[in-house]
Amino acid sequence: MPPEQSGVADYSALLVPALTARTDLVVARRGSRKPPRGTDVALYHVGNNPDAHGWIVDALRRMPGVVVLHDFVLHHLVAGMTVGRRDGHGYLDAMEREHGVVGRLLAHGVLDKRIPPLWESRPEDFPLAGFVLEHATGLIVHSRTVHDRARTAGFGGPIRVIPHPAWPVPEIPPEQAAPGPVIGCFGVVNSSKRIPELLRAFARVREASPDATLLLVGPTSPGFDLERRLQRLGLGDDGIVREGWVDERRLWALMAGVDVCVNLRQPTMGETSGSVVRALTLGRPLVVSDVGWFSELPAEVALKVPVDDREVETLAAALELLVSQPGVRAEMGAAGAALARREHDLGRVADLYVAALEEAAGGRAVGDAVVRDVSRAAADVEIAADTPEAREIARRLAEIELGR
Amino acid sequence: MRVAVCRPQVPFARGGVEIFTDRLVEELRARDHDVDLVTVPFKWYPGTRVLTQAFLWRLLDLDEADGRPIDVVVATKFPSYLVRHRDKRVWLVHQFRQAYELDGTPLGQFGDSTEERALRRKVQGLDRVALGEATRLFATSRNVADRLDASTGLTAEVLPHPPQELDYRCEGYESFVLSVGRLDRTKRVDLLIDAAGLDSSLEVVIAGEGPDRERLQALARQRGLDGRVRFAGRVSDGELADLYGRCLGVFYAPVDEDFGMVPFEAFLSEKPVLTTTDAGGPLEVVAHGRTGVVVAPDAEALARATAWLREHREEAAQLGRAGKAVATEVTWDRAIDRLLA
Repeated sequence: MPPEQSGVADYSALLVPALTARTDLVVARRGSRKPPRGTDVALYHVGNNPDAHGWIVDALRRMPGVVVLHDFVLHHLVAGMTVGRRDGHGYLDAMEREHGVVGRLLAHGVLDKRIPPLWESRPEDFPLAGFVLEHATGLIVHSRTVHDRARTAGFGGPIRVIPHPAWPVPEIPPEQAAPGPVIGCFGVVNSSKRIPELLRAFARVREASPDATLLLVGPTSPGFDLERRLQRLGLGDDGIVREGWVDERRLWALMAGVDVCVNLRQPTMGETSGSVVRALTLGRPLVVSDVGWFSELPAEVALKVPVDDREVETLAAALELLVSQPGVRAEMGAAGAALARREHDLGRVADLYVAALEEAAGGRAVGDAVVRDVSRAAADVEIAADTPEAREIARRLAEIELGR
Repeated sequence: MRVAVCRPQVPFARGGVEIFTDRLVEELRARDHDVDLVTVPFKWYPGTRVLTQAFLWRLLDLDEADGRPIDVVVATKFPSYLVRHRDKRVWLVHQFRQAYELDGTPLGQFGDSTEERALRRKVQGLDRVALGEATRLFATSRNVADRLDASTGLTAEVLPHPPQELDYRCEGYESFVLSVGRLDRTKRVDLLIDAAGLDSSLEVVIAGEGPDRERLQALARQRGLDGRVRFAGRVSDGELADLYGRCLGVFYAPVDEDFGMVPFEAFLSEKPVLTTTDAGGPLEVVAHGRTGVVVAPDAEALARATAWLREHREEAAQLGRAGKAVATEVTWDRAIDRLLA
């Protein structure tokens, strides 16, 4: 929760009042070891930041519950909770459990400083989500992508896909960064947000549309030399508007003032983007990378750019289309706003949470009762356990999520 | 085409779904399809019985029958759509309403314990999975489609169907208001009885059977309405057509009904429909002042409406004729063309 500065904290701050209105909710304080006595179900928000989420995973390991998996790739979290706590063996074990002997050997290489830390160099190849999944009784995820990855990772419990809720739009006048068409990119400025590719694509856009402007809003990652890249591409002061970290109100104002929102990334950790949800709410057309959750956005609200050899060309073509076609922008924006109202409505999201929590709290008892009843009926007609008939019954129960 | 029409069966009960599915089978046969009706008994209480009884549908194998493939299954009502088939078309009459909009009302089924809350969610979970499997998803009314969308996010095409076949006719506008339907609390027949208590000229005929009959009869006695409120019980098709043909208007005001065939039956008899602002599906065809009278769900408003109809018989006839124009637009030819397209 705020004052922590993270997407998950913002998310929780948005959701908690809506959940409190629908259910008896207690927010655990930072560092809490267990949920209060009498709690029917515990809900754990887990992201990839060990400082923000380490204590939450510690509590989860003491009392299993429903996990809201904000990222699927949790290598950084696991490293922080093991290596960061001087528990090298814990890291070795986590790597071996999910990636076998090769994983253990690589982990040794990291601990011995013979290879770069995997949580920085190749986290997507070694997500280590099992560290959390093994203690989860159910999952809430924001995308089919993470749903499918959790299943592939062997998670057999209930999974609910619940969209990221939309924020209420504050009544703030739009702030236009420049007179011509403005392309906005909101978030940390670094390579994984594909800023180098965006700058190269924008340089092409400027050739056809010299009045276009690229607005970059967000802090620059250490080591990412934005100025040098801009100089090299000949993008001067008149084509780029740069804003560092801005507060929430300014963020809304700037976003409301752009004509197109760009949100790119690779690799993806399975995350959703609060910026994309804001852009949808504001009815802004989107250009996104064709990866992870972003791929799931309907085509009518976002142009999707594959991360491949032709990424820059495709990105430039998408931006040129939207810069030059106000009608297309308006149509996509309207579709985005409708999607936000339909799918990301806060009340709807809170209702889906309550459904997931109610099922988690009593679902086990219900599942047991169903299986007991069906087993009894099967036994009455002499269908023994571990026969093809019993397996068929079990399969049919599982198909409609009635098995345990 | 070889078609299996699936419907759950509550033993000893017969209502709109039974009439609809029987007719669907007949209409499909009339168009040279090889059709049969598949039914499984359904009991939804106590406790998890709603799930285990629903699960019976999942064990059925309707891929083929007697060595010949079944091309299409058409499921209609919870839990028949749990059936498995490569071409499962659902023509949704309604979901298990106790798990949705009736929850938390006197008509609900599930209590506040964690187990009962979870049980309700499991029923909803069945819908998400089983309806999500459908190759085509239709709803009998906009109301049913909207509920489905709100509860599962699934989109159904609205596909109304004609009412049962009767010798529909209009023989005039006598003094009585007719109520048709199963006698249970959701149908709110007590509203009409209370209105008769307030409007001393109002005569009522109640056609239908159901678990609420005793309570309703006691209520009528208590209001001193013997002689003005007649419980006709389950009537034959001929009697029903006769009642429709002679009545002043037809009362039909269930709580947030899926759709209901009664308004169409009334319209085909050129009779206006009296309903309430919270009736749900009927409001898709009963428009106030155009095909019927729509009032607030209270006895006083209803009594005023029945008195107005009695005193304005020509207007009542106009409303009925306008309703007939609406009802005749819905045909089996159109419905079956879309269902099997």
